Amino acid sequence: MSDLDYAISQLRSCKPIPEPAVRELCHKARELLIEESNVQIVDAPVTICGDIHGQFHDLMELFRVGGDVPETNYLFMGDFVDRGFYSLESFLLLLSLKVRYPDRITLIRGNHESRQITTVYGFYDECLRKYGSANVWRYCCEVFDYLALGALVVGAGSCVGETGDEVEVEVVGQYGEIVTRLKRTEQQQQSIGGPPGSGATGSARGSKGVNNGAVLCVHGGLSPLVDSIDKIRLLDRKQEVPHEGAMCDLLWSDPDEIDGWGLSPRGAGFLFGADIVKHFNHINNLSLIARAHQLVMEGFKEMFDSSIVTVWSAPNYCYRCGNVAAILELGEERSGGSVPWSAADRGAVVRPGPGRRYRVFEAAPQDSRGMPAKKPVADYFL
Amino acid sequence: MNSLRLPGSGRLGKPGPGGDKDSTPEAKDRVVQQTDQDASQSRLSAVETGYLQDPFASVFVSGGVQRKLPLINRGTYVRTTAIDKLVNSFINSSQTKQIVSLGAGSDTRYFRIKSTNPTAASSLIYHEFDFAAVTSRKIASLLKGEPSLAASMLADPALFVDAPAGSLTSPSYYIHPLDIRSLRPGCALPVGIDKSLPTLFISECCLIYLAPAEADNILKWITQDFTSSVGLVLYEPIGGEDAFGKVMIQNLAARGIVLKTLKKYSSLERQKERLRILGFSKGQDAADVDFIHDNWMDEGEKERIAKLEMLDEMEEWQLLARHYCVAWGWRDGGSEDSFSGWEGVWPAQKYSKI
Repeated sequence: MSDLDYAISQLRSCKPIPEPAVRELCHKARELLIEESNVQIVDAPVTICGDIHGQFHDLMELFRVGGDVPETNYLFMGDFVDRGFYSLESFLLLLSLKVRYPDRITLIRGNHESRQITTVYGFYDECLRKYGSANVWRYCCEVFDYLALGALVVGAGSCVGETGDEVEVEVVGQYGEIVTRLKRTEQQQQSIGGPPGSGATGSARGSKGVNNGAVLCVHGGLSPLVDSIDKIRLLDRKQEVPHEGAMCDLLWSDPDEIDGWGLSPRGAGFLFGADIVKHFNHINNLSLIARAHQLVMEGFKEMFDSSIVTVWSAPNYCYRCGNVAAILELGEERSGGSVPWSAADRGAVVRPGPGRRYRVFEAAPQDSRGMPAKKPVADYFL
Repeated sequence: MNSLRLPGSGRLGKPGPGGDKDSTPEAKDRVVQQTDQDASQSRLSAVETGYLQDPFASVFVSGGVQRKLPLINRGTYVRTTAIDKLVNSFINSSQTKQIVSLGAGSDTRYFRIKSTNPTAASSLIYHEFDFAAVTSRKIASLLKGEPSLAASMLADPALFVDAPAGSLTSPSYYIHPLDIRSLRPGCALPVGIDKSLPTLFISECCLIYLAPAEADNILKWITQDFTSSVGLVLYEPIGGEDAFGKVMIQNLAARGIVLKTLKKYSSLERQKERLRILGFSKGQDAADVDFIHDNWMDEGEKERIAKLEMLDEMEEWQLLARHYCVAWGWRDGGSEDSFSGWEGVWPAQKYSKI
């Protein structure tokens, strides 16, 4: 067994690996990531995941629901660390899988992959607690600086699955049961429910027509300084996340029910409205923006006529919020199944989205976690 | 979220892990008493991070400061500031009045009032009620250090401290070792309490730990036995029915903490109704912490605290903050109404957002 495979097997059972092994892993990861562009091109099929936040056992649940690496091609949209108890094991497992199977897993940067934020939200303390020094935290932060800022998924199919049903959106529960199916012809305003008993009611709406636009994946959202994907490609990303500017906005911004741009209550990034998303998608030939960054109780939430979706993959976030999680599967284009984006449609502002399968799942069973029972699991006001 | 698999699923209301050996009434009381240390650590964290000014916060915390997450600091700030606003409006009226803090624990409010508002403090008699185990710890903290807080703030010829019993009396500040479950209409008045003085009662995460009948009895005691104007400020969780609330109940149950009145008083509407029915007839209102942050704090303050720390998740903040409320109600004392300053001043929320 190679050192790397050994590290993966250790990390899969939630055991930290020795400091020299972390150093070696981070070094290899940097060599790999430095070659990636700011916006990585990823071929469908791919499974898109949102925030993980050190919830290692829930990450294992995600792999159980979505399939393992390398069988499933994954794209993680950042926020691997902070808040949960196992940021170190979660991030290093994803990183070792990246080094082992570089073409089967894509990692992009979240706002928590930053020196400043990790010192406030737990990852720094966790490293100190587990290794007695900040070295491992430092190695990880150096990797953070090399993570891509976004990804562009190409070749996604216009319908879900193999059937001839022209299903645009499908919501599947954690045991594979189909909760909702929405055909492309069934139009508008249908609310899609989560798995039975979960109380989840993720919202998604079908859109009409066909698709061959790409899907932009980014942790936060858009920036007033970025009107094209090419502008993202030109950024110098190999640095700590700045407090302002395009790189900061991509990692911090949120969509909101406003016109144009607004100030973000988070203190970094911006709020952006439907008009901004639709215009950006139109001029960049995108059918969808997939992003993470915001807790969604139902695991996913489509907005602005399905031009943007939030995917959240940390169930019962912070062991306190009671939410379900979701991952988004984009299938590949079936041969002959696609109708090209026709000239007649070019007047339309919204390009119809690809077929989307959301797999919704709950937190891993508590007995698999081995958490100290006496320790308060989450903070409340008492 | 019935199928969410979490600790203690299906064991609601029963003791958490290790609960079997800790299930005596005394052990359950101890768990509630320990919540005081949580609160004083949260307060110290909010002070050290710059949200609150409170030179007394460190007096009651043993060991160093445990830094809390930004959203906990913000919540502590909003809670303290909101209650301060209601309290200040009451104490700034000129006549002699009382404050009774139920389950006061190691709260520092009396010392803050005395140091920042000596005029109001000079016509104020402040009473704190809590378990003897808590009050004796508080008194020990008051007596330690050189000079001790007791020596510098309570230097008074009439100061009398019984440290082992956990009682402190002085003309203007009392600490009563008292199980508040003994308070009900017609009960003997604790020493120094004057039922003819305008009195403000404060319950910060206190009544919620009592059985509904016990909590109701205390409110009836206030509105039936006092002849003056009386007011009550409550701060406690609401909303146990939704996903967040269910997880909160389970997580706290795992620590042995049971929120006994949560189900009965689970919304702003129910809190207001509670106050009205139990005799706070002149006015009742309530707002959640998220609403208070947005609507009670002036813009400058909001900007200042937003800059102290980066709040990474607004959704999480809203979720948490909408599950805590401040409720306030009052009844006048005939011709005298020391709570007129509460009338229509504090933006109130129509409906719970949970």
